[in-house]
Amino acid sequence: NLHKKNLIYYAGVSSQSNGDRFKIEGRAIVPGVKTQDWVSTARVLVEGEEYVGFLRTDGSFAVNDIPSGSYVVEVVTPTFRFEPVRVDITSKGKMRARLVNFIKTSEVIRQPYPLQIRGSPQSYFMRRETWGWTDFLMNPMVMMMVLPLLIIVLLPKVVNTNDPEMRKEMEQSMNMLNPNPELPDVSELMTKLFSGSKGSGKAGGSSKGTRPAVKRR
Amino acid sequence: MVTVWLHDLMKKSNCIYCLSPFLFCRRQQYVGKVRFAHFDTHVQSSKKVVVATEKNVFAALNTRTGELFWRHVDKTGSEGNIDALLLQGADAVLVVGNGRLLRSWEVNIGGLNWEILLDSGSFQSACLVGQQDNVKYVAVLKKTVISLHYLSNGHQKWIENLPDSETVDYQAVYSGGNGEVYVLGVVPHSHIAVVVYSVDDGEILKQFSVEAAWLSNIQTSCAVVGKGMLTCVDSTTLSLYMLDLHTQLQMTQLPLQTLGLEVDPGFHPTLVSTQPNAARQPLSEFFLQLGPEHYVLLQLNNGQIVTLRDFKPAMLVSFATTGEKTVAAVMSPKNKTACGLNLFSADTGRRLLDTTLIFNMDPYGGKPETLYVQAFLKKDDSVGYRAIVQTEDHTLTFLQQPGRVMWTREEALSDVVTMEMVDLPLTGTQAELEGEFGKKADGLMSMVLKRLSSQFILLQAWVSHLWKLFYDARKPRSQVKNDVTIENLSRDEFNLQKMMVMVTASGKLFGIDSKTGTIVWKHYLDNIPSNAAFKLMVQRTTAHFPHPPQCTLLIKDKDTGLATLHVFNPIFGKKSHITPPALPQPILQSLLLPLMDQDYAKVLLLVDDQYKVSAFPSTKNVLQQLQEMASSIFFYLVDSSQGRLSGYRLRTDLSTELIWEVVIPPEIQRIVSVKGKRPNEHVHSQGRVMGDRSVLYKYLNPNLLAIVTESTDSHQERSFVGILLIDGVTGRIIHEAVQRKTKGPVHVVHSENWVVYEYWSTKSRRNEFSVIELYEGMELYNSTVFSSLDRPHAPQVLQQSYIFPSAISTLEATLTEKGITSRHLLIGLPSGGILSLPKMFLDPRRPEIVTEQSREENLIPYAPELPIRTEWYINYNQTISRVRGIYTAPSGLESTCLVVAYGLDIYQTRVYPSKQFDVLKDDYDYMLISSVLFALFFATMISKRLAEVKLLNRAWR
Repeated sequence: NLHKKNLIYYAGVSSQSNGDRFKIEGRAIVPGVKTQDWVSTARVLVEGEEYVGFLRTDGSFAVNDIPSGSYVVEVVTPTFRFEPVRVDITSKGKMRARLVNFIKTSEVIRQPYPLQIRGSPQSYFMRRETWGWTDFLMNPMVMMMVLPLLIIVLLPKVVNTNDPEMRKEMEQSMNMLNPNPELPDVSELMTKLFSGSKGSGKAGGSSKGTRPAVKRR
Repeated sequence: MVTVWLHDLMKKSNCIYCLSPFLFCRRQQYVGKVRFAHFDTHVQSSKKVVVATEKNVFAALNTRTGELFWRHVDKTGSEGNIDALLLQGADAVLVVGNGRLLRSWEVNIGGLNWEILLDSGSFQSACLVGQQDNVKYVAVLKKTVISLHYLSNGHQKWIENLPDSETVDYQAVYSGGNGEVYVLGVVPHSHIAVVVYSVDDGEILKQFSVEAAWLSNIQTSCAVVGKGMLTCVDSTTLSLYMLDLHTQLQMTQLPLQTLGLEVDPGFHPTLVSTQPNAARQPLSEFFLQLGPEHYVLLQLNNGQIVTLRDFKPAMLVSFATTGEKTVAAVMSPKNKTACGLNLFSADTGRRLLDTTLIFNMDPYGGKPETLYVQAFLKKDDSVGYRAIVQTEDHTLTFLQQPGRVMWTREEALSDVVTMEMVDLPLTGTQAELEGEFGKKADGLMSMVLKRLSSQFILLQAWVSHLWKLFYDARKPRSQVKNDVTIENLSRDEFNLQKMMVMVTASGKLFGIDSKTGTIVWKHYLDNIPSNAAFKLMVQRTTAHFPHPPQCTLLIKDKDTGLATLHVFNPIFGKKSHITPPALPQPILQSLLLPLMDQDYAKVLLLVDDQYKVSAFPSTKNVLQQLQEMASSIFFYLVDSSQGRLSGYRLRTDLSTELIWEVVIPPEIQRIVSVKGKRPNEHVHSQGRVMGDRSVLYKYLNPNLLAIVTESTDSHQERSFVGILLIDGVTGRIIHEAVQRKTKGPVHVVHSENWVVYEYWSTKSRRNEFSVIELYEGMELYNSTVFSSLDRPHAPQVLQQSYIFPSAISTLEATLTEKGITSRHLLIGLPSGGILSLPKMFLDPRRPEIVTEQSREENLIPYAPELPIRTEWYINYNQTISRVRGIYTAPSGLESTCLVVAYGLDIYQTRVYPSKQFDVLKDDYDYMLISSVLFALFFATMISKRLAEVKLLNRAWR
């Protein structure tokens, strides 16, 4: 008889003491990674380190003993990144999860509750700048330098400038483009230049070798 | 599928690029002083020992290496306090937070099985409950209730109120595996109350009380032995009392004299019993401790007590069980520096052969305090064992037969209080050369000879260095040893390697090499008061060669204010032969002056509660210098309980004079922290160049103090955080700011001309940063010297605030040699990361509208929220739990700042706030550069030759 009385009395006590304490529940998963591999390094932080919870072996968690209020819940591990979630608990124990927004603090974008938090691998490293030939060649400055060079070197070879007919034709077309014959014509200058240097260019076989020679003329 | 692949890719790229940053960083993980430790025995080959510590950490250590398998760090303070640890199979059950939570952990992978909230009430005791050789429940005893939970899922089987819990103090719970749970309570100086519950439904089977007027605490003086015999020892009547819990007859008294035993005078005897299996009864053998170094192994045999063996001297005892065999391990002193550990058969008291183990005590360590023994059966069925010894200085040593130390863990380092970095000395030869200049000239000839000989020594050292390089190069890289010993410690080219002197709360001092993280020396200071405050000062650096470097540690009892000084050499850890002055008066303040005595030691001034000043060292030279300088020595005292800040000036007779006083009404707000600037800080530029090419000069007052106050009213509408900038010499208030609807904890950094502080905004429920910058204006008042007494114009104050999207644990700013490198803020986060946030983001001149001028100045447009980028974490995935402090020190390279973060873990690294502008990258391609150079050189040669040929040809034409 005494025993039963005790039980009833006790029940009263428990509802009183637990009346304003709640628990936040949820589950954290990293797609494609077994939970066993990372749960031992994970923690659930509620509002900084105000309340701390741990993950079960299946990735689910429950943080006990939390009074009503609004909290930022975050799962932290060294290897994965989980988005924090704000959880509001009313004094009656109604729960609501929403996106964290520190600027518009009253904005509500609902999130599922119990929480479903997905993790993604975290990268702490910046890709180091490496020196590769492709990087060098793809540099716009280099491209700007190389392309005209190619044109300068290759064009005279493709178009046989020694052929008098061709030359005449070209001159004609140039004259059409360039109505003022008094002005020094760039292409003419070029063709002159390269037909002159052709001999030495062949001997040297190096474009580097030709350039100083040209200047000296 | 796609995500998996991505992840793999990520891993790979991490490995490629992480190599170089990890070269310079070291992390050491600690757990704290061990409170409970159990060897994991459910698998034969298990290498685990699970520990629960006073730092609220639950962890599994590898017994082979001493490293952590996993670790769980709970909340600090009483809410995360671990009250009990029970290990059953692969499950560890913990009672946390004074009986608030019951948790079960899976020991193999370190994941949680379950966690349940227990009902309120202060925790008393817990035990495993078994039935028919099967442990299925855990019983938790609280002040007024007892509950039984299933081990498999934590569900409550039953919960019962304890009868008469107002009068009876229930303290212990015991189960012998026979379907009954015994709750033992005591009414002090009256009787023992025993309540027997049925495991099945929680029904009270029996309830009785026995007269025991002498008993006040069951847990310290009683133990259940054998077939349910409650055995207690009483120090006043010097007798054993025995009560059979099954037959509940009268308590029988057995004077110790009848056993031929004698208790050391003034010692409170205790009992040590063992219950190897919770489903069975405890063993009938137990230890009785009669004195600090006196134990007796007793046996209960048919109601009679038999003495099996007397151990004197014996410091520590422990029981260990493997299979059906239980052994007793006894540690006894051998000589001053070593202890012997022996195994004895528990049921006979016979010494087991070949079980001696020698434990060498560190002369600079503490005495052994606790012993944990793991016994195992060898192939020949004899008992072997391993042992963990915990000493007073929180060191764990793992010993294996025959006397081999497998590993040691310096758990004192989990609680570093303060630290300093000291430059390493030059090598012996270099020092020899330097020393030459210090000595007085004694003739031309001898000087020449000395120079020649020292040059010869240098040459010799260089040759041997070359030889060593050559020799090491032939060996594979892994075999090259990088042992750091005191002998080969020397300063490197850029002063990147330093000695970290760490002071821990337990009173143990450490000297750690910053490059490798090896502990070079350790020194345990006994008789440190438990609530001591420490202040470490470097009085003499290594720069003054014939004189050894000198550090002084001020140890102050927080309650009485009485202080002692410990003077030591920071490189070798040896106590200095200089006797520090005795300090009979409580010390209020200590300050290290830039003055030096004739031996190049900086002068330490100590102000006592009579406002009298004493100097250390106090030679005639020092006193004379002090008299000359007295008029320009000012100091301040903070009395936070009365909210009073007062400034004093030193008089020539070493008495003091109050010159200003600021009172902050303590009933409205209280002073939380007072921050000055760091004395070793350099500011490179006096001003900032604006967009229109004019200069905005910084207000660089070295005497400026930042005082942070918090409101005493904690209501979220009325609470506030205030900041006060005061000149420490004149007491003039330079600036005052209040942040409404905010509360602490406030973290502050004060440097150059700015103060950054962080607080919690109760209105918007977020963390916010605020920055204050002080400027003199467009003209500098007196550009040569700064004097607090001669600054007529008040500085311009700029302030801006930002949202920070995380809580923070600690805040510090980087520091470099000359202050040219841009500053970063180092922020310790609760997640364990350390963020390096450029100060550029915390600049009150960040404009809301971008103009041509602000772009010219490289100002980032204002954004309310500060970003957190993962690349800014300086510790990558090496998280540091509970960061409490970050220490920064300049290195010899302007670009590099040495960083040590300490908390539960210690992490050391280097940061480069403006990248490594003064260092070639470590992957700098020498080959490419030299080959390009050579190619160009040859190309020039060839083209020159070709040009000549061409000119010649033309001339012929």
